[in-house]
Amino acid sequence: MIAFEHVGKRYGGRYEALADINFRITRGEMLFLTGHSGAGKSSLLRLIMRLERPSRGRLLVAGHDIDRLHASQIPYYRRQIGVVFQDHQLLFDRDVFANVALPLAIQGVEPHESARRVRAALDKVGLLHRERALPIELSTGEQQRVGIARAVVNKPPLLLADEPTGNLDPQLSADIMRLFEEFNRIGTTVLVASHDLALIARLRHRVLRLREGRLVSDEQVGDGEGA
Amino acid sequence: MKKASGSRQSPPRRGARSRRAGIDSRARAWLRHHRAVGLDSARRLLRHPLSSLLTMLAIGIALVLPAGLWLTLSGADDVGRRLQDSATLTVYLSPSVSESRAMTVADTLRRHPDVASARLITAAEGAAEFQQALGLEDALAELDDNPLPASVVISPVDTSPAAVRDLGDQLEAVEGVDEVRVDLAWLERLRRLAAFGRRLTLALGGLFGLGALLVVGNTIRLSVESRRREIEVVTLIGATHAFVRRPFLYSGAWYGLGGGVVAWLLLALGGRWLAAPLHELAQSYGAHFGMPALGWQGSTMLLLSSTLVGWLGGWIAVHRHLADMRPR
Repeated sequence: MIAFEHVGKRYGGRYEALADINFRITRGEMLFLTGHSGAGKSSLLRLIMRLERPSRGRLLVAGHDIDRLHASQIPYYRRQIGVVFQDHQLLFDRDVFANVALPLAIQGVEPHESARRVRAALDKVGLLHRERALPIELSTGEQQRVGIARAVVNKPPLLLADEPTGNLDPQLSADIMRLFEEFNRIGTTVLVASHDLALIARLRHRVLRLREGRLVSDEQVGDGEGA
Repeated sequence: MKKASGSRQSPPRRGARSRRAGIDSRARAWLRHHRAVGLDSARRLLRHPLSSLLTMLAIGIALVLPAGLWLTLSGADDVGRRLQDSATLTVYLSPSVSESRAMTVADTLRRHPDVASARLITAAEGAAEFQQALGLEDALAELDDNPLPASVVISPVDTSPAAVRDLGDQLEAVEGVDEVRVDLAWLERLRRLAAFGRRLTLALGGLFGLGALLVVGNTIRLSVESRRREIEVVTLIGATHAFVRRPFLYSGAWYGLGGGVVAWLLLALGGRWLAAPLHELAQSYGAHFGMPALGWQGSTMLLLSSTLVGWLGGWIAVHRHLADMRPR
């Protein structure tokens, strides 16, 4: 589904954020991306979202070199990716329902159908009763769940999450991760960037580890007993 | 992921009927979004009525000068055209020409290809007309002889000044003709003035239109700035540039339309205010010309072009912002 082939990213010609990244993600996989802050996790996600372009190498998504996408195709490409941000990026001038409905509004989904899907997504994250609330009235954990509902409301085949549990306590973090696992179980490919190593270790998924822009390990956590 | 490129959310294609349904529903979605965005933009403007009104006033005032000038010009053009259409030449025959001879000359003139019609005024008729017009019965009665020559009033086929002057020269050469009177100089002057006025209007229109464009552009730029986050978020989740641009284009169009209405009102008020003195002025010249009005055609033009200016201002403001957001 996603293939990084010798991908490098430099900023301003000097600073090397990513260097010679090689890995593949198969359809329906769930995996974590870890590393210290500044190791290149966000850059890597931004490359997949086509917010930035690789300075070197090729990045294939679903068999297409996304660097070759025409500017007019990028929006349609991005609609295939659900993204959960650390700061959830909700719009504070509208209620929860409107926030979650945003991707559907962009795609011109008919209002009736849109309402149905928004409620389904909110139900999934357990916030159906808060659909008329403004984001500002919600707790941080609830805001993050609204962000997740928005990311999955149009059932994207790929879900990216950038430090989705960054500001949450361990219990809420575990809840959020469970949500991601549920989406993964119904076929969504999930890539979560996180530095919460303790949590990742418990979840037993494939983990990519970045250090100073290089991929230093790629292993399945929890393979075999006592790993 | 189904397809990386350009795969929109569309129902599975099962032959022509479902494809038509897909296009239909997309068109409906498009219309629905336009309606929603149009209304939302209007509501946003109404939320700050004073600042919206000020923007519209600025646009309206910028547009009122060229529009008013254009109106004045089209009025002057009208008057000029009417005057030109009624352009006639008066051909005075030699005093020695007898009445029967005058008729022959008039026939000759009538047959000239550039003459639309010719009316003979015999010496006697001329005297009668003269008396009537000036009430000089007594003065003329005192004279033994009728001092007026016979004359022929000619309406030319081509009423353009050059053609009329040319015709006058030709007719002067006809035997029995004493003098041809063509008074075109002031008509010519009016025409030159109108041509100058048209250029001036064009220049001012361009200049003030640009001013209105900048007013809208700047207002929209501020509103783009205040919705920067929203733009970033919707772009992240797959909004096209058209989608991002749309609300601002509508805001710009609303501002422009509002400015057009302001300009229209100012013109109507100004027209009313000036109508009475203009009427008096016209009467003092014994002429008949009223205040030119925009009419529905002119009003539509004014509103359309002001809306277009607003739309364009919005487009420019957003375009610059979107260009900054391109991935590196």
